[in-house]
Amino acid sequence: MTPRPPFALRMLARWLPGDLRDPIAGDLAEEYLARRERGARTRATVWVWCQALRLAAVFRWERLVRVRGVPPIAEELRSVTTMWDRLRQDVVFSVRMLRRQPGFTSVALIALALGIGANTAIFSVVDGVLWRPLPFPGADRVMSLAEQRPRESRWFGPVSPADYFDWLRDSRSFSAMAAYSTTGPAGAFNLTGNGDPERVRPLEVAPAFLGVIGVMPALGRDLRAEEATLGRHRVVLLSDGLWRRRFGADPSVVGRTIAFDGHPYEIVGVLPAQFWWPSRPDVVVPLALADRDRALRAAHFLEIVARLRDGVTPAQAQEDLRLIGARLSQAYPLENANHFPNLRPLRDALVGDMRPALLILLAAVAFVMLIACANVATLLLARAASRQKELSVRRAVGATRFRVVQQMLTESLVVAFAGGAAGLLIAAWGLAAFRSIMPAQFADLPGIAGVGIDGRVLLATVVLSAITGMIFGVVPALVASDYRIGIALNEETRGSSGSVRARRLRSGLVVAELAMSLVLLAGAALLIVSFKNLVNVSPGFQPAQLAIARITLPASRYGDHARTVGLFDALYERLRGAPGVERVGATTSLPFDGPGSRLSFTIENRTARSPFPVRAHPRIVSTDYFRTMGIPIVRGRAFSEHDTESSGHVVVINEAAARRYWPDENPVGQRISLGAPAEWREIVGVAADTRHEGLDADAAPAAFLPQRQGFFNVGAGFERTMTLVIRTGRDAASLTPILRTSVASIDPQLPIGMVRPMDDVIGESIAPRRLNFVLVSAFAVVALVLTAAGLYGVMAYVVAQRTREIGVRMALGATRRQVLGLMFRQAGSMTAAGIALGITGALVLTRSMTSLLFGVSAADPLVYAGVSAILAAVAFVAVAVPSSRATRIDPLLALRDS
Amino acid sequence: LNFMAVGDVYALGEFEQVVLLAILRLGEDAYAVSIREEILRCTGRDVSRGSVYITLDRLETKGFLRSRLADPTPERGGRAKRYYELRSPAVEALKESRRALVALWRGLERVLA
Repeated sequence: MTPRPPFALRMLARWLPGDLRDPIAGDLAEEYLARRERGARTRATVWVWCQALRLAAVFRWERLVRVRGVPPIAEELRSVTTMWDRLRQDVVFSVRMLRRQPGFTSVALIALALGIGANTAIFSVVDGVLWRPLPFPGADRVMSLAEQRPRESRWFGPVSPADYFDWLRDSRSFSAMAAYSTTGPAGAFNLTGNGDPERVRPLEVAPAFLGVIGVMPALGRDLRAEEATLGRHRVVLLSDGLWRRRFGADPSVVGRTIAFDGHPYEIVGVLPAQFWWPSRPDVVVPLALADRDRALRAAHFLEIVARLRDGVTPAQAQEDLRLIGARLSQAYPLENANHFPNLRPLRDALVGDMRPALLILLAAVAFVMLIACANVATLLLARAASRQKELSVRRAVGATRFRVVQQMLTESLVVAFAGGAAGLLIAAWGLAAFRSIMPAQFADLPGIAGVGIDGRVLLATVVLSAITGMIFGVVPALVASDYRIGIALNEETRGSSGSVRARRLRSGLVVAELAMSLVLLAGAALLIVSFKNLVNVSPGFQPAQLAIARITLPASRYGDHARTVGLFDALYERLRGAPGVERVGATTSLPFDGPGSRLSFTIENRTARSPFPVRAHPRIVSTDYFRTMGIPIVRGRAFSEHDTESSGHVVVINEAAARRYWPDENPVGQRISLGAPAEWREIVGVAADTRHEGLDADAAPAAFLPQRQGFFNVGAGFERTMTLVIRTGRDAASLTPILRTSVASIDPQLPIGMVRPMDDVIGESIAPRRLNFVLVSAFAVVALVLTAAGLYGVMAYVVAQRTREIGVRMALGATRRQVLGLMFRQAGSMTAAGIALGITGALVLTRSMTSLLFGVSAADPLVYAGVSAILAAVAFVAVAVPSSRATRIDPLLALRDS
Repeated sequence: LNFMAVGDVYALGEFEQVVLLAILRLGEDAYAVSIREEILRCTGRDVSRGSVYITLDRLETKGFLRSRLADPTPERGGRAKRYYELRSPAVEALKESRRALVALWRGLERVLA
């Protein structure tokens, strides 16, 4: 098959005169194909582009020369050389002109540097995260599979083990599929021996995992299929980081044994340095599930990646999964009714809800750029008017209009590229600042670590600068070159300000700037209001003066429920007596620390079958948890010292569960059974809702289980990873040593994490929003300043041009007031037009921000009124300064001036 | 300026001569790509495509060349090929150039050998 000729050739053909079009484009196509066949595809493409551009330039020039009647040049390529010479002359001349007008040059440079700098910085982030391929071979064929639960408006939720094994068995669309878990049964590992005990982050994976994402261990071997069975699962792949940190990059570690949680694990391999996964795991271990856990259909905690089989499209795979899902929800209506498998590219899963935020940022900087362009264009227009005479002289002595436009465009391009260079500095600085304020959620994004100014970003900046230069340069150049020679030469710039066209254009540009500023301001204001609303949401407990610390018990020594309870009871006892500790409690699932798994449950004596699974998040909590957190009990009672293993099993549900499953009755006193096998628990109380997945997410149904009554339906080891919550009058950090000594006095081998204030945990959960509103606001402020400068510049210019007219008016008796009124009428109509246009634009554009807003409508009238007022006020100041100068004009001087 | 009239015969520029001679040498197969290659082969000069096209275009306008379009082929992206051949004024001009140059060279062999 003959490949289609590249775009370059089709473009070239358009530029060539009709009779030469086919032969020349054909010759190039022939040579291009020959080069391609020799293997150098990219080089052939570059070659054909260079040739096409060169030939296009040559023939454009050639035609121009002929039409103008310039004698043909028979030797070599005179036209091209003279073109380069001319360009060089133009550049030299431009630099000279720009240096002579430091005021104009510096304002234009600052505006462009801000615009290009902000764009370069945000582009490099967005490019790195959204557009660059993931660091896996064939990453576009790797899909993330998840479970869709429309009733909970959860489109990509975790998957239960039983569903996973069914999908694995029945699907035909994937060459490989692997489950993984970062929060699964094992939680965190305690690495002991060979130095201080250390908590390491494991990634538990089905053995096919590395194959799915296309990663090979750098040393040793991959996991084997049989290592997913309990008993054979004690093997580990080290991350490059851990290998270097802990083992001094010793290649002989493969085959050695290390202790995790007191169990010996054999090191079977080391991952390559470029291996990357969002949770930044230190070790990769097999995900080995006990038979009981493999059969769990109601507990959802697995995430799944799969590689599409060759030739299978994502849509086909989706259909394949849909059929399996339909079968499963029929076979298991209790657990799976209205659950559907869902699939999306791995990148989308990894980027998640950061995508709209990033795109909004990109849109915001694009607006800043356009405003900067409009700004420089108004400056250029004003400048062109003052160069009217110079340009007329040039035309009179024989310069063509083309030549004048060329010269003026060169000037704008020189400004643009200088601005671009300065913008790169700003971008480098901005990126460094961005990295230092980057919240944890950003650090987990793909490609974020590599974000920086590299070839690709540099190219984008160069292209952006060139486009910018053309945008703001071409219109002023065309307008400026259009003066009729005779008129301009004879006439002193008299009367009002410049030609009608130029004046309209200037006002148009200022209106556009005002409108775009308003859009940005509205966007920023909506984000700020959302953030404020969010911060004011009560989390449902009292986060102030609450400290938290994670503790993980090794399964080897705490496999037995009684031992676990014993350790925690001893720890609570010791901590209660410690200085600064007022209350202490613990939970398996702290608010704002991830959603956690969920379980189906059955309600005793309920006959009517719900079409949807009845489900709740199980949370094991200590007796004192509710009081420590400050969560009110709205009905019944909290847990007490009397709820032990030997007493009747009890449960406390939250209001969300009560509302959803007992809408018209009192749940207290009823009995439920969570998961399977059936084990009835009496509901003794209803706790107030707490926000759990974020301040913007409503509470989901939850069931609290007392720590002292064993509970094993979630998966083995669930209760061994607890978060301690401590109500304290002190600084959280000062509790760390107290907690350390308390833990060490009970079990010296237990490592303990940092004690952190709960406020920090909440702060982190809203950090991406904070970053978003801070950045968009910063861009809006830049836009406002640029717009104010543009408006100021235009009005100052108008005043300067109308000095004579104002002088005459004042000499004839006009008052200051009347003169001011004159100026403000002009500025006022521009501002009003800008605001009206801006509101219209913002109403349309902010609709795309809905997912980022909270508690405020994208069309909130108050927000719009507020930003319009701000813009009007800024416009007023920008106009007032030059206008008041106009009223101080001495009529005599003004008239003599001419 | 690079051209001047000597009587009725147009004095060819140096590059024009190069192009015309290359066409003459190629015979039936003279089109832009082969002309460029022939010039490279004989003189070692890697001339730009643009200059070849422009020179061919000008020589044709001046009546030195005649061209015909061949059928389009797929490997040329469905575009026709333009073959060139000399018309008699070109042959005359070449003869005149050669005559002038030979006359000028005569007696200088020892100085420039």
